Amino acid sequence: MDLMKELLKKAEQVEVVNLHNETTTVSFEANQLKSSSVAQTRGTAVRVVRDGRLGFAASSDEKAITKLAANALESAAYGDRLILKFPTAKPAQQVRTFDQKIVDLSISRLVEIGREILDLILPVEPDARVNLNLTRSVQSASLRNQTGLDIAFERSPLSFELEIDRIVGDDVLIIFDVVGTTQWNDEYLGFARRLVEKLKMARKLTRMRSGNMPVIFSPFGVLALALPLNQGLNGKSVYKGTSPMRGKIGEKLFDEKITLIDDGTLHGRPGSAPYDDEGVPHQRNVLVEKGVLKGFIYDLRTAAQFGVESTGNAERGLFNQPEPSSTNFMIQPGKTPLKDMIASISEGILVEGLLGLGQGNIISGAFSNPLALAFKIEKGEIVGRVKDMSIAGNVYDLLKNVEAVSQEAEWVYGSIHAPYVLLPQMNVVSKE
Amino acid sequence: MRDKIQAALKLSKADYTEIRIEEKESARISYQGRDLENANAVIDKGGVVRCLSRKHGWGVATFNNLDDLKNKVEQAYQCALVAQSEEPIELGPIEVIEEHIQAVMKHDFRDVSMAAKKALVENYNNILLGSSDKIIDTNSVYVDSFSHVYFANSEGTYIEEERPSVVVATTAIARDGDNVQQSHESCGGPFGFEFAQDKEEMARTAARRAVELLGAKSVVGGQYPVVADQMLAGVFIHEAFGHLSESDFVYENPKAKEMMVLGRRFGRDILNVYDDGTIPGQRGTHRFDDEGTPTRHNDLIKDGILVGRLHSRETAAKMDEKVTGNARAVSYRFPPIVRMTNTAIENGTTSFQDMIKDIKLGIYACDAYGGETMLENFSFSSGYAYMIRDGRIAEMVKDVILSGNLFTTLQNIDAIGNDFKWLAVGGGCGKGKQAPLPVGMGAPHIRIQNVVIGGQ
Repeated sequence: MDLMKELLKKAEQVEVVNLHNETTTVSFEANQLKSSSVAQTRGTAVRVVRDGRLGFAASSDEKAITKLAANALESAAYGDRLILKFPTAKPAQQVRTFDQKIVDLSISRLVEIGREILDLILPVEPDARVNLNLTRSVQSASLRNQTGLDIAFERSPLSFELEIDRIVGDDVLIIFDVVGTTQWNDEYLGFARRLVEKLKMARKLTRMRSGNMPVIFSPFGVLALALPLNQGLNGKSVYKGTSPMRGKIGEKLFDEKITLIDDGTLHGRPGSAPYDDEGVPHQRNVLVEKGVLKGFIYDLRTAAQFGVESTGNAERGLFNQPEPSSTNFMIQPGKTPLKDMIASISEGILVEGLLGLGQGNIISGAFSNPLALAFKIEKGEIVGRVKDMSIAGNVYDLLKNVEAVSQEAEWVYGSIHAPYVLLPQMNVVSKE
Repeated sequence: MRDKIQAALKLSKADYTEIRIEEKESARISYQGRDLENANAVIDKGGVVRCLSRKHGWGVATFNNLDDLKNKVEQAYQCALVAQSEEPIELGPIEVIEEHIQAVMKHDFRDVSMAAKKALVENYNNILLGSSDKIIDTNSVYVDSFSHVYFANSEGTYIEEERPSVVVATTAIARDGDNVQQSHESCGGPFGFEFAQDKEEMARTAARRAVELLGAKSVVGGQYPVVADQMLAGVFIHEAFGHLSESDFVYENPKAKEMMVLGRRFGRDILNVYDDGTIPGQRGTHRFDDEGTPTRHNDLIKDGILVGRLHSRETAAKMDEKVTGNARAVSYRFPPIVRMTNTAIENGTTSFQDMIKDIKLGIYACDAYGGETMLENFSFSSGYAYMIRDGRIAEMVKDVILSGNLFTTLQNIDAIGNDFKWLAVGGGCGKGKQAPLPVGMGAPHIRIQNVVIGGQ
């Protein structure tokens, strides 16, 4: 049965999405390769507009097509009356998302890479226990709608997910890192080398008092600042009225050193693809420019709610309707070299990681987190790791006054690109 | 299906093989503010084969295409051969079982029309929206799912089980200028449609509290005696302690073994903690876990002393302890791992009034937004809280985040309430990539001395 044809008999608009994914995972657990797995998933998701109402259904059972069609039409009987138009085909940028070299990696080559990573870490930290997942997927997606739009693309994401814990006496240190790409890079061990440097730095413990002091957020630490902004810039939270940035386009909300960009067209990034998950071309969206709010990210639905164009930010899983989501979220690097940033501080702290990120009422911008990994800076130098510290503040207040943003920037968690950010004054609490 | 599964099992060259197939249909209706966001049904059908090669390790294949089970068994076996475990992997012994477990629902939700389900949620959503003009947004959700799970292993066990689940959740978001606050209430369980009905009071509570939070001041950070309500106490024991009881955390980690050594004192004599997958009607309840091991009552802390932990067959064999029935998988997309079922702090003897009457300045912290733990360190947000002043509940405060060290905090529990309850909440537990797994939590009120509260 041709789903498109069949559904068009009863619906004005129809969208059919087919997803197919094959994932190979090699898992090292406590330095040992204990399991490997192959996952094959496939499925079909359908949206229809019938009598002006939107309906949705999905199935991973390819034999249940008739029921899938019936479910979609029934769903439309209750769907909302939003005027949503599935897009016509528009030219998209060429975005490299597929690399045969990644597809060709054998499971034993993945095992070898895992060993190479462990061989970098374990000689330096014999007490470390490393959990490492190497994951390679081959994804294909196709999307058709009644306008004749018919697109298909393939992606080959490869990701390394690493958790190191080191327990010595009462001292517990846990470091987490994920790197991802869709283009093979011969420098695939770079992230592991950086981690080893962090581990070495973390050996020396020192103490610190509570107080107001300058704080440097590393690209990992910056997540505490980036997560609330990422949520606040999402068209859905703007529509819901929960975004503190609602209604403030054109206003200067942050220090002029802050520029935020969402860009789904970068070659090889995990968040990239020529089109979003509704068939709208990905683009580069400048959301905050020199501290001034320029815009939000939208999918078709939130764009229709505001009477604007989709920014190409729809994202969906098989069983969910699309929602706006950032692709590759970037805080633009600045002009200050990191070493100058550190040198400028007489007493302060470098935040490399926080515990409990993303919990609580984060959209308000407020956060309060224990520090998972942090270093004390004294007289312009990093002097050791500090434990049992926590920081609290509100992103919307803190980012009004930024002392410096570094030239150096890194990809963290695969799709967030961030520099080091120095805030001149922040409350740091020590439990000692 | 049984013949197909058993034919594929017979061909396996592995030391141990299991196959789990799941056929699931679920319906979801959700309102966001005034908009009906979802009213739809999805079909999810798939399976997982897990093979063990004792000398190598585990191989797993998951799939949607059930036509070629034999090939999937071979694929999983090949994956197992790639693994390089340092020691042979053994499995704790269990009895061979054959069972068909049928769901019991008073009112089977599969017989309820989408229109009736929609009307139910719409009513709760209207209660949220109509409670106050300060409520600017809502999220009202109804989800039901009915799974038919087939499990068989190469030892001869065969289990078919029907698993119904129904969840209702209401979130109210209130706003006053730049001040945005939210409150969430949910309930869920292995029941029929009847469970989702008559939850108007739940919606009213969520709405009332979101508006109240607008008037709350941020708590002043510092150390306080804290009285935690049943919900926060339940989430705390699950997150901060329960996960450390999962033996996959301990079994290959000498330091963690030291930390979690049986016989170590974890709290005062009044503290008793257990996990029990047999409690009727709770979200973590099943006759068997996803390895076919019968669930049971497992004491974890008895009179303040660590006495037990949770196992899969692999971790039980490795640590030379008995299986506990705690190997669970969130769906056919994953192999089972060690998980909690229903975890609880046992009832105590102190009344709520006695608990707060001697506190000059403290915090009554209720509900949990979520939390994170890193070994013995934890951080939790309470959903809402009140100051305790001179032995009485005083003004509401917000942004109450509790953090600390598990061991110190457990030792600092100096009173356990006499008002135990199970919390049939709608969410679920996450571990690795497996979420949300339905779990039960239970506790009475508890009092903890010297808790570090983050604040502005």
